[in-house]
Amino acid sequence: MNFLRGVMGGQQSSGVQPSGAETIQKLCDRVASSTLLDDRRDAVRALKSLSKKYRLEVGTQAMDHLLNVLQTDRADSEIIGYALDTLYNILSNDAEEAVGHSRTWSLLPRDTAESEEENPQAQTDDLGVQFTEMFIKQQENVTILLSILEEFDFHVRWPGVKLLTCLLKQQGPQVQQIILVSPMGVSRLMDLLDDSREVIRNDGLLLLQQLTKSNAAIQKIVAFENAFERLLDIITEEGNSDGGIVVEDCLLLLQNLLKYNNSNQNFFKEGSYIQRMKPWFEVGDDNSGWSAQKVTNLHLMLQLVRVLVSPGNPPGATSSCQKFMYQCGLLQQLCIILMATGVPADILTETINTVSEVIRGSQVNQDYFASVNAPSNPPRPAIVVLLMSMVNERQPFVLRCAVLYCFQCFLYKNQKGQGEIVATLLPSTIDATSLSAGQLLCGGLFSTDSLSNWCAAVALAHALLENSTQKEQLLRVQLATSIGNPPVSLLQQCTNILAQGSKVQTRVGLLMLLCTWLTNCPIAVTHFLHNASNVPFLTAQISENLGEEEQLVQGLCALLLGICIYYNDNSLESNTKEKLKQLIEKRIGKEIFTEKLGFITKHEFYSKAAQKPQPSFSSPDHMMFDHEFTKLVKELEAVIIKAIYKSSEEDKKEEEVKKSLEQHDNIISHYKNVIREQDLQLEELKQTVSTLQAKNEQFQTTVSQQVAQIQQHKDQYNLLKVQLGKDNQHHNSHNSNAQINGFQSEEVSRLKEEIEELKKQHDLLQGELSEKNTLIENLSCNQAAGQTEQTTGVSEQVTELQKEMETLRSQLHVQSTEINRLQAERMELLQKVEASATVTASGDSASAASKNNDYEEKIAGLLRELSSLKDEVNLLSVEKSTLKRELDSAHSTTAILQDEKLKLGQEVSESKKEQDDLLILLADQDQKILSLKNKLKELGEQVDDEDDLESGDAGDEDDLDEEDSRDDDM
Amino acid sequence: MAYAYLFKYIIIGDTGVGKSCLLLQFTDKRFQPVHDLTIGVEFGARMITIDGKQIKLQIWDTAGQESFRSITRSYYRGAAGALLVYDITRRDTFNHLTTWLEDARQHSNSNMVIMLIANKSDLESRREVKKEEGEAFAREHGLIFMETSAKTASNVEEAFINTAKEIYEKIQEGVFDINNEANGIKIGPQNPMPGPTGPHNAGQAGGSCC
Repeated sequence: MNFLRGVMGGQQSSGVQPSGAETIQKLCDRVASSTLLDDRRDAVRALKSLSKKYRLEVGTQAMDHLLNVLQTDRADSEIIGYALDTLYNILSNDAEEAVGHSRTWSLLPRDTAESEEENPQAQTDDLGVQFTEMFIKQQENVTILLSILEEFDFHVRWPGVKLLTCLLKQQGPQVQQIILVSPMGVSRLMDLLDDSREVIRNDGLLLLQQLTKSNAAIQKIVAFENAFERLLDIITEEGNSDGGIVVEDCLLLLQNLLKYNNSNQNFFKEGSYIQRMKPWFEVGDDNSGWSAQKVTNLHLMLQLVRVLVSPGNPPGATSSCQKFMYQCGLLQQLCIILMATGVPADILTETINTVSEVIRGSQVNQDYFASVNAPSNPPRPAIVVLLMSMVNERQPFVLRCAVLYCFQCFLYKNQKGQGEIVATLLPSTIDATSLSAGQLLCGGLFSTDSLSNWCAAVALAHALLENSTQKEQLLRVQLATSIGNPPVSLLQQCTNILAQGSKVQTRVGLLMLLCTWLTNCPIAVTHFLHNASNVPFLTAQISENLGEEEQLVQGLCALLLGICIYYNDNSLESNTKEKLKQLIEKRIGKEIFTEKLGFITKHEFYSKAAQKPQPSFSSPDHMMFDHEFTKLVKELEAVIIKAIYKSSEEDKKEEEVKKSLEQHDNIISHYKNVIREQDLQLEELKQTVSTLQAKNEQFQTTVSQQVAQIQQHKDQYNLLKVQLGKDNQHHNSHNSNAQINGFQSEEVSRLKEEIEELKKQHDLLQGELSEKNTLIENLSCNQAAGQTEQTTGVSEQVTELQKEMETLRSQLHVQSTEINRLQAERMELLQKVEASATVTASGDSASAASKNNDYEEKIAGLLRELSSLKDEVNLLSVEKSTLKRELDSAHSTTAILQDEKLKLGQEVSESKKEQDDLLILLADQDQKILSLKNKLKELGEQVDDEDDLESGDAGDEDDLDEEDSRDDDM
Repeated sequence: MAYAYLFKYIIIGDTGVGKSCLLLQFTDKRFQPVHDLTIGVEFGARMITIDGKQIKLQIWDTAGQESFRSITRSYYRGAAGALLVYDITRRDTFNHLTTWLEDARQHSNSNMVIMLIANKSDLESRREVKKEEGEAFAREHGLIFMETSAKTASNVEEAFINTAKEIYEKIQEGVFDINNEANGIKIGPQNPMPGPTGPHNAGQAGGSCC
């Protein structure tokens, strides 16, 4: 502000045109004091017309009044419009530049004019910035301006947009902050893109460009408000790259929104907007249509693609964008431009750079790129066509750099691609008929153009990066130099050219290639040292006191020598680590060596190259370092210095440590072997386990088979028992075992039936036996009765006979008593007759005589009866004798029967023995079953114990019953 | 990539209640026990299926800190759904819900679906706010309620999907003006829309007059 006052003071004192300042003062008073709107409006309009001429005066005197108008006269769009225009004229440096430049010139006194002449733009810039500071001092001024922008009137909105844009240009961060905290501030400004009036929409784009400049929070809000959609729509509507400056403005805004803003990039990707970029690059082959605007647009479009896949983005974000770009065909479209004809060189260059970053580190995209062919006849791989440009002196420098970048990106983390490139150089795979990448690189390496040398060397180095296989493969490459001479190895040829003392650029390139080649590859180191002239050359280079130009080469030579020490496996007697170190100490000196080594990193080109992967140089002479090589130097510098400064003792110690490490390694490898063996064993054991499991299963099936067999055995056993029962029909108590372990109901029922049968048989047999017994008893009774008249053991026949005899006897007794009675009656009658004869004479004697006759008849009858009885007795005695005979015969039969009984007893005991045997067999089998069950249990098979036990118990009980009944039988 | 609808969500609530973790669990299906403080807003996206339709969710996870409040307010207007999150182990985050809700209602469109999320349900032992209290608050203010755990992923899917279902139903009922993208809803490219050639031609005509 002091400065401002100074400027103002100077003007006032000079007194040039005081009427202008006075007029402005009057107008300001009118704006401030007049109560009539028309008056105020006229005054503001007058101020507006003066504001370009008298920018300083109007700014200093009218600013507050104008801001007041914005606040108080919102209702009148006309006065607001004038006020905004006036403010814009005051604040904007553009307006000053366009209209008032000559005015300022004459306004100022000569001496100040001269000082301004030196930096007139800075002066006016300061003016704009300072007025802007005044404007935004009151934050509400910006808030008012934002609310004014909601006014639809063109004469309000348009100057409003321009004023705000101007404010943002002058005091970006502060204005951004004010807009950010005012509610819906950003959202309202986004609505400008929907304005149907193109002027406002386009100026809205410019406003948003300023608004989003380096403010991530605003960028995100703008993106949230569908900026991508709207901008892409506008670009499409305007005809993509064929559109005018509006497309350019949209693209610039898109770049603001996406560059370094990972959240917005993610949103852009997730919103499927990458796919919408593809039509941008469908430029066709019409060579006529390459207007300057189209070139600008396409350039910005390509840059936008690069923003999304920049190597500086988070790796995940870049790789997913790369994937989308391949999937939606964007990469393919870019490759079409790459191979098209008539594309302007700068577009082609940027396209190559873009393709580079789209494929960098993405295997799929790299593979696709390797497959792209140029539409030439015969078709050549795009890589070959590009390399041709790289080693072509006539191509523009930036294009050659772009091709190198493309080649580097193709090989970045692409072992497959590295192998393919190196393979084109190997004797076995060389295709003589067509130009290969390898041939081009070798051609470039040894051409007379130092730029080609450098590019080819760096390109070849990238084919070897972090790929020890290719480093060893490249050692096989032989070159045919001239006819008659023997072929020379590529490594040898590189050192030869190095020794020839060509341009610095060439030597730097070759040294970088050699350093990359030898790093981490002891075989290559040995190859290098094998050539006796190499080490002396390097030491000579390092130790010589050369000019500043040569410092870089000296540094690189020191690095190469250092690599030869650090990665030396001591396989060459003449150039062991120790010997090389001694050489440095004697010929160069450790201090000097490190100093020269330090030249590399201290070089200004080194730090530039270390910044980003893309090779970009302000001039071809500055092309000295490769980005990947700077990484390598960073890694190696410290370890090499360490290796050089290490004393031989330390070296020995290290050797020892290495040896012990090797021992450890050996131990480790031993253990690894052990582990491997154990692994194998484990595998074997696993197999055994599986076979065992299979076996186990087999066993289980066998067990079940055996169970079935046991069942069969049991059945057989039962069958045998039954047979035994059949054999020994007397033996009646064997059937109960049939129920042991009766698993199947059918069998049970069958067995029950058998039992029933057996029982029946048993009953039958018992019946028979009892019959036999009674018979035997009868017989013995008969025998006893017959022999000793004992009443025990009487047979029915005998008792019948005895009864008969008794009845006969009793009859006899009755008859004899009757006879006695009759004799007594006769005696009586005789006595009566004697008495009657005596008492009664004749008559009585007649009756007595008849009675006598009767008696005599009776006696005669009795006598006959008696004789018949006597006959009967005789008969009985005859009978008795026959019975006696019968008894004798019965005795003999009894004896026979007793023999038979004896025999039966023996048979019973025999069958008992047999049964015992069978019981033992059964017990054994039970044991077997039990053990098998236990086995099953051990194998995890569920075994129903209770059932078996129960059935076993039942069997035991039956056995007991059997024995009881047998005892009974006995 | 094709979708029937696109919904914009915002996640709001006090700092440290687990907003970013909820988003990370939903989009990446992982949990980060130590999460950096969100600066401003972070973006995340995922596709879901509702009623057999592919719906793309674009989610803006906002910073909970007071200093970012003015920035995060800018996101209310264009969102169709909001997840208002509090932490069941910190009562103050529950107490601040009213302020958040007022802020959201004031700056958003009236149809915005708000889901109240009670996060950290895995820390039952440290619970300070009962589930019933959250439910009561939701009922009182017409919100959907859900207890979640970004750590165990419990209910996280449901929270985002149920909000989408609610929005989807509102669309079916015709509550939302789906042609106004300021509502946070966009119809997918395959749906019948004013043909792409229509505005294209109109734009060209407009361009020629200037």
